[in-house]
Amino acid sequence: MLVITLALRNILRNRRRSLLTILSMGGGYVLLSFMMAMTEGSYSNMIDLFTRDHTGHVQIHHSNYLDRPSLYKTINNSRELINELQKNSMVKGIAPRVYAPSLAYGKEKTFPASVIGIDPQLEAETTYLKNKVKQGEYLAKGMTASGYFPAMIGHTLAKNLHLTVGDELVLISQGIDGSIANDIFKISAIVGTSESYERMNVYLSLDAMHQFLSMGDQVHELAIRLNHQSEARSYAQQLQVELNQQPNNQNDHIGLNAKPWQVVEEAFYKGMQADKQGNYLSMGILIFIVSIGVLNTILMGILERTREFGVLKAIGTRPMAVFRLIMLESFLLALASCLFGLIFALPANLWLSRVGITLPEPIDMGGIAFETMLGEISMFSMGAPALVVIGSTLLVSLVPGIRASRISPLQALQAA
Amino acid sequence: MARHLSHYCIIVFLLLSSTFATANEEAVALLTKIDELYRSDSSISTMKMQIVTPNWERTLEMQSWTIGMDDTFIRILSPKKDQGVATLKKDREMWNYFPKINKVIKVPPSMMMGSWMGSDFTNDDLVREVSLVKEYHVEKEDFEGKHKLTLTPKESTVTVWGRIEILVEKESLLPIEQRYFNDKGEKVRSMYFSDIKTFSGKRLPSKMSMVPHNKEHHKTVIEYVELTFDTEIDDSIFTLRNLKKRYK
Repeated sequence: MLVITLALRNILRNRRRSLLTILSMGGGYVLLSFMMAMTEGSYSNMIDLFTRDHTGHVQIHHSNYLDRPSLYKTINNSRELINELQKNSMVKGIAPRVYAPSLAYGKEKTFPASVIGIDPQLEAETTYLKNKVKQGEYLAKGMTASGYFPAMIGHTLAKNLHLTVGDELVLISQGIDGSIANDIFKISAIVGTSESYERMNVYLSLDAMHQFLSMGDQVHELAIRLNHQSEARSYAQQLQVELNQQPNNQNDHIGLNAKPWQVVEEAFYKGMQADKQGNYLSMGILIFIVSIGVLNTILMGILERTREFGVLKAIGTRPMAVFRLIMLESFLLALASCLFGLIFALPANLWLSRVGITLPEPIDMGGIAFETMLGEISMFSMGAPALVVIGSTLLVSLVPGIRASRISPLQALQAA
Repeated sequence: MARHLSHYCIIVFLLLSSTFATANEEAVALLTKIDELYRSDSSISTMKMQIVTPNWERTLEMQSWTIGMDDTFIRILSPKKDQGVATLKKDREMWNYFPKINKVIKVPPSMMMGSWMGSDFTNDDLVREVSLVKEYHVEKEDFEGKHKLTLTPKESTVTVWGRIEILVEKESLLPIEQRYFNDKGEKVRSMYFSDIKTFSGKRLPSKMSMVPHNKEHHKTVIEYVELTFDTEIDDSIFTLRNLKKRYK
C-alpha cells in the first residue's frame, strides 16, 4: 500500500508534467476510439445497406441451389416454415422468393429477364425493395380490375423494352411441369436505377408466379432479416441444426441449407475483409505513433528523476520495489488519460453514431442514397483503445523501469 | 473369244450388281414404308402425349394434320392451361403459337433439336423434318424374326445423329425399336413401338415411347387415339393465319 501512496504522491508532485503526459496519452486514446468507431460504423453501415438491399442476413435454399440453381430445387410447404421461423424473436422479417429466368417481350424487342416471385408485404419488411419504386405503385397481391396480374419491372429492362407503367408485359418461361409458361402482365411500377440489382428483374406476386409456373406452395429461397447483421453466422448455425432435426413424418424440410450473408455473398464479404485488413494496418501505424508519444513522455519523466531513484536506492529500497513503483505510476497515468479521453471521446462518438458526418456527395448504393457516415459506439470501440493505451504505456515503461531499478546510487547521484 | 469373255464379264458384273441392288432396294423400300408409316399423303390424328420426369408428369392431348412430308399442324386440346397452343411446320420453317399472349414465335433452326413442350421429343421429331430415305444410307441385316436397318447420314445431310438403327419385325414389317446414336457412337435415346392397331385399314403401332439414355427416369409416350389417312385437307390449315385463329 505504501507503493500506491508513493506513486500517487510522485504523480501529483509534478503536476504540469503529469498533466502533459495525460494530455498526450488521452489524445491518443481519443484518436484511436474515434477511428475505430468510424471504421466499424461505416462497415456495419455498408453491410446493413448491402444486406437490406436484397440479400437479407440469412438465406435458406434447397440443397445446392446457391451454386447450381434449378427450378426443381424448391422449399416445399413454405407457408408452414415461414410461420415456424417467425416465432423466433431474432427474426425481424422473412421473404419468400421464386426465381424463373424468362424472356420478356416489349413493344418490338425481346430481352432475357430474371422474374422473381415475392410476397409484397413480407418483402417490404425484409428489404428496401418498396423504397426503390421510382414510378407507379408498389406491387399488390391479386389481379387488377382488368384481370391481369400486376408486375414491377426493373429500370433498365423497362428502358430496353420501351415499356412504362400501365403497359402490358409478356413473359415466357418454363413451367415446373415442363409446359411453356406464358402470360400477360400489367406493369404497375418501375423499380431501381440503371446500377441497382433490380435493373433487369421483373417482380410478380407469389400467387401470380405460382400460377405462371404451375407451382404449388413452393419457393426457391427464404431471405431472413435479423435484428443485427452480426447475428447472421450464429443464427444460421442454429437454424441449420433446427432444419436437420425435423421430425421424420414431415420430410419437407430435409435437405434445406441455411447460409449467412457471408456465404451467400462471398465475393462482397471477401472484398470487405481485404479492405478491413488494410484498415487494421493503418490503425496499427496509429497505435505505434501513440505508443512512441507515450514512450517519450514516460522516458523523459524517469530520466528527470534519476537522482530521486538514486536516493531511493541509497536508503535501501530493493530494485523490485523501485520497478514496481515506476510501473504503477505509468499505469495510474495511463488510467487517468483513458478516463480523461473518455470524457471527450464519448460525447463525440455518441454524436457520430446518432448524427454522423454528412457526405458532400451522397453515395448511391444500388438505388439507395447513402448520405451520412455514421459511427458505431460499442464496447469494442471504447474499450480497445483503452487497452492499447494502457498496454503500450506498460510496455514502454518496462525498459526505463528496469534501468532505474538497477541503477547504482553513486552513479545516479553523480549524474545530476 | 476375247469378246465373249468380255461379254461374260459384263453379264456377271451386271448380275452381281443387280443382286446387290435388290438387297439395298429392299432396305430402302422398308425404310420408305417406315418413313410413311404415320404419314401417307395426308393424315389427321388425335394423340395423347404422356411426359414423365423425376420431378413432374403430365399428359397432353393434341390433334395433328399432316400433308406429305413437309406440312404439319398440331394443336393442343388439353390440359386447360395449354389449350390452344399450336405448332405449324411448313417446308423447313416452324412456328409456335401461344393464345394466352397471342404471340407467334418462330422456332429457329438452332432450336430444332430442342425439346417440344418439355417432352423428350425434339421439335425435329415432331415435324419429322427429314425423310430418312432421302437423308440416310441404309444397310439391312437379318436376324431371328427381325430385320435390322442401319442408317448412316449421307454427306449432304445435316443431322446430330451419327447412326440410327431400326429393328423391324419380319412378319408384319413394322418397326419395334429405333435407336439413335451420336457421332461418338454412343446410344443417346431409344424409341419403342408397341400396341399394334388398325387405322383406316393400315396396321401400325399405336404407341411410341421415347426414352433418353442420358437422363434418368425420363420418358415420353405418344399414343394415337384416332388416325385417318388420305382425307381431303384444305391447304388453309397450314397457314400462319390458321395458327393464330383463336381455338374455341
